[in-house]
Amino acid sequence: MRTRSWIILIGALLLVSLAFCFLLLGRGASGTVANIYQNGVCVRSIDLSAVTESFTFTVSDGARENVIEVAPGRIRVLEADCPDQVCVHAGWLADSAAPIVCLPHRLVIRIETSAKAADGIDTVSQ
Amino acid sequence: MKLKRLTRAAVLAAMALGIFIVELQLPNLTPIPGVKLGLANIVTVFSMFLLGPANTLAILLTRILLGSLFSGQVMALAYSLAGGLLCYLLMLLLRKLLTMKQIWVCGVLGAVAHNLGQMAVAVVVTGTPAILVYLPVLMVSGIAAGLFTGLCAQFAVGRLEHTSLFK
Repeated sequence: MRTRSWIILIGALLLVSLAFCFLLLGRGASGTVANIYQNGVCVRSIDLSAVTESFTFTVSDGARENVIEVAPGRIRVLEADCPDQVCVHAGWLADSAAPIVCLPHRLVIRIETSAKAADGIDTVSQ
Repeated sequence: MKLKRLTRAAVLAAMALGIFIVELQLPNLTPIPGVKLGLANIVTVFSMFLLGPANTLAILLTRILLGSLFSGQVMALAYSLAGGLLCYLLMLLLRKLLTMKQIWVCGVLGAVAHNLGQMAVAVVVTGTPAILVYLPVLMVSGIAAGLFTGLCAQFAVGRLEHTSLFK
């Protein structure tokens, strides 16, 4: 293939990816419920709009821990004993469609419209 | 010249490992797992074109296995292996298609393949397909980082391909 064809191919790939970036992440999250998933299972759901006072709690799977802080309207990973600290550096998640991900601990925090935990919305936070 | 081939591969593996460990010391620029420069990719692309597929596979696997041990990120081994091997398979194909002036393309598409493989494993491991929203971001970052590492490899190959080291 000629060099020009490769440049066009890569340019097209870049444009499509950029378009999807804005499409998927440009708009905000649609709900106010923070669902916390570990190993694909939603372990806790918190309605951020109902939170009046900040609190922290720990999500643990036995060996690995993430300390999560919840404040009115937002949530973040305060501390984690993972090696890369990507989840801590992600900072506050409020109304973004971009989830907080802690790959080493298989933990994902997403803002969604409804509670996905088995026991529904967390009542401690109400 | 078996000894020469072995030494060459060992030096490149050590270089890749050194680059990999140094890059880990740089702070993450984004809160998105997997967005990185991937400087060790320079060595992979370089060796694919000057040393051939067999040596490259040995260098790649050495770097991934020792890299995860030395950095203490054994959890990340699955992601690195999936990304590295998918990248390697695509490079096998690209090696046949590209001329010696188009080596940089191998860096770009290899990085994209690497990120795709990593993302696939991340979805399986976390059991949370929702993280796919980051796929386009990883594609863009892969193209940008791959262009850089690909051009580095292109220049390195240009300087070294006619030296006695790689005859």
